[in-house]
Amino acid sequence: MRSLLLAVGAALAVAALVAAHLFVGRSALAPGDVAAALLGHAREPAHEIIVLRFRLPRVLVGLAAGALLATSGVLVQAVVRNPLAEPATTGVGSGAALAVVVSLLVAPGHPYVALAALLGALAAGGLLFLLGRRSLALTGILLGAVLGALTSFALVLDSAPMGTVLRWLVGSLNARTTGDWDAVAPWLVTVPLAWLLASRMNAWALGETTAVGLGVRRLLTPAAILGVAVLAAAAAVTAAGAVAFVGLVAPHVARMLVGADHRRLVPAAAVLGALLLSAADLVAFAVSLELPGARPDVAGVPVGAVTALIGAPLLVHLVRRSARPTLQERG
Amino acid sequence: MVLTRGATGRTTAPVAVHLLATAVLVALVVAALCLGEPRLSPAAVVDALRDPAHPQHVAVTEARLPRAVLGALAGLGLAVAGLLMQDALHNQVAGPELLGVSSGAAVVTAAVVVLALPVPLAALPYLALVGALVAGVLVLLAIGGSTRDPDQVVLVGAAVSAACAGLVVAIVGLGTEGNVVVLFRYLLGSLAARGWDHVAVVLPWVAVGVAVAVLLRRRVAALALGDVAATGLGVPVVRTRLTALAAAAALAAAVASVCGPVAYVALLAPHVVRRLLGSTSTARVLALSGVVGAVLLVAADLVSRLALYPVEVPVGVATTLVGVPALVWTLARSRDAR
Repeated sequence: MRSLLLAVGAALAVAALVAAHLFVGRSALAPGDVAAALLGHAREPAHEIIVLRFRLPRVLVGLAAGALLATSGVLVQAVVRNPLAEPATTGVGSGAALAVVVSLLVAPGHPYVALAALLGALAAGGLLFLLGRRSLALTGILLGAVLGALTSFALVLDSAPMGTVLRWLVGSLNARTTGDWDAVAPWLVTVPLAWLLASRMNAWALGETTAVGLGVRRLLTPAAILGVAVLAAAAAVTAAGAVAFVGLVAPHVARMLVGADHRRLVPAAAVLGALLLSAADLVAFAVSLELPGARPDVAGVPVGAVTALIGAPLLVHLVRRSARPTLQERG
Repeated sequence: MVLTRGATGRTTAPVAVHLLATAVLVALVVAALCLGEPRLSPAAVVDALRDPAHPQHVAVTEARLPRAVLGALAGLGLAVAGLLMQDALHNQVAGPELLGVSSGAAVVTAAVVVLALPVPLAALPYLALVGALVAGVLVLLAIGGSTRDPDQVVLVGAAVSAACAGLVVAIVGLGTEGNVVVLFRYLLGSLAARGWDHVAVVLPWVAVGVAVAVLLRRRVAALALGDVAATGLGVPVVRTRLTALAAAAALAAAVASVCGPVAYVALLAPHVVRRLLGSTSTARVLALSGVVGAVLLVAADLVSRLALYPVEVPVGVATTLVGVPALVWTLARSRDAR
């Protein structure tokens, strides 16, 4: 009953968010115009372009990227056994962003952005595991700092426009269009993949020795969990840039709602992540429109700034709540 | 994980090390005055300094010299701040860059500068300190005032720093219609376009902060042994810790208000000194940390200025790229020595 209520509530929230997104923008459209544009018989061609080419893709990309970030967060937290880990602080997101920026610097306008992001995320994930023998947390942060500095360096070299900087350094959904949705949609397959790994993650949470006793492969399982996490993070970064906190907060809130069993945690976190990122983007876009700026739809408030504002206090609250040391002793 | 710092088993003559570090700093400052566009010989620099009619007089006295002095001052202040944090929190990876203090200060500074608020330059550090304290207190609150697990501390600190970075980007991006140069100053730190008035702003803060550190050095050394030992030695633990952290925050905030949140000088310098001296004594490390911090920042700034001339690289890029690997290496070495 409870899960049915949650599912209905989530569906309603997603619908409300999509609807709200379709009405926010530089040109005010009447509800009738939006509905007509969605159904394909708009009274003016401009309406169709505004709704179908700009507003709908933006909300869809936001939902997808949020779901991917949260899924990646669940997987990373499971493999590190630390609820404070997330794709943004493991260096995986920074690796994806750096690879994309460098590849665009070398070959402007090339079509393989997603591939570059994936390779960057994989390389960062590999580095993390090579270097992070003692403390994955600290290693991830330091790795992220180095990769972030390199990304900034590349952006200085290129004297990139602000929109590009915002996108790759803090994460932004400004100026997302149909192509971005087409690029990110296939990667949503990582959410069911993560769900398939749920029972292994449950076993892994009990500690390595116990997990192996339960028949989990000592090396293959963490590698598989991390592999899917990297895929999801790379896709999210390609779509929205290096957004922080969604991958951290969504799994936490999901745990409060459905408990720690990964079979329920993965779908719950994915939905919450989608809601969180898209809602933050709605705030970001609405605020951007109020501000004097050349192109609020391109270089307006980055969604990463909004998630940071929401996420930081929430994080502090969550850490204080979980005063029990949740970490296994590190070998 | 208790953080013990193994002695390196080497004994070095501290006097020799001090002299060497000072000599390196002087050499770097001279290099900073000579190098650039146009390149000058040391003799020409002396001429330019003495002769107001010299064609390069302004370039040397109003651009290169204050920049080198500011780099040295900021490096000194950061290194002392890092040492105070590490020993007062009994945590090897404490530093203003990982506790959100530097980026908290940068947010306030960016807001004041970008929104063109009527704040005199000399008042900026006070406001930056507010931002630094808010971020620092957030992190300390989150980890419950104790310093349980360094991993949790750095994760929370990183999260708060990320939040601050997001805010900086939003403020700069919206307030300046996308001035990327300004953005990188407050995101990574930069000494570009700083002059004597900036030196004048930072100087009193660094002087007071370092003086507090010197006065506290024995008490902080007791804290570095752990709270139980410190209490046994008659040191008021909480009061000392708060005073030391406040001094560290003030140092970091003053530097950040002028140069932005330059990272990995504060965290690295004390570790370098411990290795150089083969000692973890707070007082001994303090005596040399300032010079080493100055060396690190002046060297990093020199690289940032010259590497891609005429494009300025933010100095924070250089300090991060050099500082992080060096930090990882020193941490690994000090563990092996255990």
